[in-house]
Amino acid sequence: MAPVQAQVLLSPAELSYLHSSLSLNPPIRPDGRSPTQFRPLVAESDILPGANGSARVCFADGTEAIVGVKAEVEKSQWRPTPQKESADVEMDDEQEEEPGVGENSWVEMSIEIPGFRDDDPLPVFLSAMLTEALLASGDLKDRLYINRRFHWKLYVDILLISPPLAYPLPLLSLTTHLALLSARLPALKSERDEDPLFDDDWEASTPIYPRSGRQKPYSAYLDKPPVTLLVMAVGQNIIFDPSKEELAVAEAVMAISCAASQSQTAEAVRLLSIRTIDPPSRLTPPGIPNLLNSATGGVAPVSSTDAMAQREAMSLLGVWTPPRGGIKRNLVGRVLKMVVEKGGVAEEVLEALEKIEVES
Amino acid sequence: MPLDTSTYALALLRLDGRRWNELRRIHAQISTQAAADGSSYLEMGNTQVICTVTGPAEGRNTGAGRSGGKEGEANLEVEIGFAGFSGVDRKRRGKGDKRTAEMAHTLSTAFSSLILMHLYPHSTISIHINILSQDGSILAACINAATLALVDAGVPMTDYLVACTAASSPTTSTSAGSDDVSDPLLDLNAMEEQELPFLTLATVGGGEKITVLVMETRVRVERIEGMLAVGIEGCKRVKDILDGVVRGFGV
Amino acid sequence: MPRAAEISVNEREFILQGLKENIRLDGRPFDAFRSLELNFGDEHGVADVQLGKTRVIARVSAEVTAPFVDRKFDGIFNISTEFSPMASPAFEIGRPTEAENILSRILEKAIRRSGALDTESLCIIAGLKCFSLRADLHVLDHDGGLIDASCIAVIAALQHFRRPDVAVEGENATIFSIREREPIPLSILHHPICVTFSYYNAGGIMLVDANLAEEQVREGEVVITMNRHGEVCQIAKYGGVSVDALALLNCTSVALEKVKDITKFIQRRLEEDAKKRDVGGLIAELSAENAR
Repeated sequence: MAPVQAQVLLSPAELSYLHSSLSLNPPIRPDGRSPTQFRPLVAESDILPGANGSARVCFADGTEAIVGVKAEVEKSQWRPTPQKESADVEMDDEQEEEPGVGENSWVEMSIEIPGFRDDDPLPVFLSAMLTEALLASGDLKDRLYINRRFHWKLYVDILLISPPLAYPLPLLSLTTHLALLSARLPALKSERDEDPLFDDDWEASTPIYPRSGRQKPYSAYLDKPPVTLLVMAVGQNIIFDPSKEELAVAEAVMAISCAASQSQTAEAVRLLSIRTIDPPSRLTPPGIPNLLNSATGGVAPVSSTDAMAQREAMSLLGVWTPPRGGIKRNLVGRVLKMVVEKGGVAEEVLEALEKIEVES
Repeated sequence: MPLDTSTYALALLRLDGRRWNELRRIHAQISTQAAADGSSYLEMGNTQVICTVTGPAEGRNTGAGRSGGKEGEANLEVEIGFAGFSGVDRKRRGKGDKRTAEMAHTLSTAFSSLILMHLYPHSTISIHINILSQDGSILAACINAATLALVDAGVPMTDYLVACTAASSPTTSTSAGSDDVSDPLLDLNAMEEQELPFLTLATVGGGEKITVLVMETRVRVERIEGMLAVGIEGCKRVKDILDGVVRGFGV
Repeated sequence: MPRAAEISVNEREFILQGLKENIRLDGRPFDAFRSLELNFGDEHGVADVQLGKTRVIARVSAEVTAPFVDRKFDGIFNISTEFSPMASPAFEIGRPTEAENILSRILEKAIRRSGALDTESLCIIAGLKCFSLRADLHVLDHDGGLIDASCIAVIAALQHFRRPDVAVEGENATIFSIREREPIPLSILHHPICVTFSYYNAGGIMLVDANLAEEQVREGEVVITMNRHGEVCQIAKYGGVSVDALALLNCTSVALEKVKDITKFIQRRLEEDAKKRDVGGLIAELSAENAR
């Protein structure tokens, strides 16, 4: 629960206007998007010659991020019985041959945001959120296994080039997704537990996320890195990819990470993690209704508790009251359904990202 | 020295196939980022740099009135960051790294004398540079990228500041039989930088006058003249390229 | 954070006007250093340099440690600088100013990177033991020309320093104290000296060894490090006024002259100091006679 940074300076009247237009049915967003529409973006991948994979994404609001993925060979720590750990039974029970089991520490992520120190809550929280989604999505870490003595260590460095104008999570997540899609590892030439030796030919390298058959329409995005979506709710409306102004009136904000499901039968999207994010709207000062304002003929409350009680009693339209309390359970359910369902938002996003990768 | 000098002496071609006075491919863009007041992206061979400029704006007030630099003048802040993935090995360079601090100091003093700082009293102009890929001539690439971003931001300057590197190769061209002691080379990549003594120089508007000159390796004093001459010539060409980028953007 | 007092407009004009009339505030010619003094401490490896009113002390010390894993055959050599608030109110302990960063970078490039000290000779047993040499630099009084003075101090201190003798037998190294065996001097390959040139009047006037007031009004500077063999170890011109390439080349020849003088001066002082120490050598120390 890290608070969203970068407070927007809006007056109670502006907040109230935004809030009521967003709670209409259908909601009217300040930039005219539909509730599930994302902001336009420019993206390119595989831009750096020195990194295993890289991507750059610019949002239309001017925020820009660059992600570089670098893999280095590292000596594995000796483990007592590396193959038969009970913790990772999921996928390597049936095959006895080569199932390398990865460890969480093989993926390292760092986020740099201008104006923030590395140990500030925002970068730390963001990297925790993105790492957890990355590790939860299937067998990425297992693919970093080389042999019993060596493994790849994957460094994901995320640079936010612009100041964090909006909450940078969607931008960083999309960029990371693209960079990981383009990341390739050199082909292994040595066998078994020898010291690893790699093919010099970059053409022979294998992508970390192998592109499975392109023929089937949906399997194209199977087994792809996760994306983390930012979703907010105002009243009964669920709004995707909120801008900074919209976040300022959010009643609930959630970060939802998902990836394409691996089972061939149900081609749906799998949920990896959810985090609630403290919306900045809680910190805004409330508007004062005319009834409580002595300047407009009202009666000013005597104490702050009194003011609270009186404001609680009335629900005036057009007066900004910061949201209180948590998220309703059925709202969470609806959000998840919208994201994960077949033809839902996540599928749409993953498909769109796949297209970028194809074109570049 | 591991650098294969024998082929250079024979064919007069460098490791990457260039001749002695050839620049690498310079590709640059300006206005790459909408959120910044000025921004640029510059490639010199495999060296890639992104630069954004904010300001002139009200400075962050850090204590006792240090927001506005000297009285009646703007303050220039430079921040340089090496991305973890920029080098051959993945390495994170902390903020306190002295080499990075030295580069930032170079940029801020060099541009302070070029920007018309007196027009913006009590303001701050900040330059942020991200080095995405390192392959030699990094300081030069930073200077060139900063020039472009400042132009894009519309900060008034007297002229472009352009930079390049020049080295002195020990391979005497024996065939020519001239009394030259060394062969100068222009625009080094990372491998050449490790092997040869080199200097980075920046000139104003590609002229003859040198604003920045940084050399970190030991070299005979007689060789400097040749390196300077080649460097100045290189800067002239860099100026034309950058000018083309700016004019191309304006069309 | 304290700030250095800025020079007043009147002073600035006065100094610049003087320079235009070929007069320096302290009457020196444009290409002259201030009076240089060099003293050595009782211990080996302590050098006290006074350049005009600027005073810098360098102290070299050694200890035995394990070498870096990636440099098994090299000893360790570090230069650390400390600007004490005693020297100037602008200095603060624990918060290096930009000037301090630049000074330590230039010393690093001038002395360490140029290979002035043969670090391989500091190795005792490859990969296991080596000498770790440390030069601590203290600025006691700041009146300009810090880089030049500091470089002289470190170079003189290194030349003056004697490290303990060692004997290696297989895996065992014995380090002898000063009393057991005569300590040995370091192997120094060349003696880099820094000379700072300051520019005024749009690059038209060039001064050697500016003092603090002159430093504050200068438009640009270039620090050239050379040794007396005519090798340039480092050049640093971090911006400032633009200067003609020929003028810079001219600087190198002026610098070479200065470097030769200073190196000779250090050598003379070292010899004088050695003579003073070597009253009777070990014999004098072993004698039972006491000065009463």
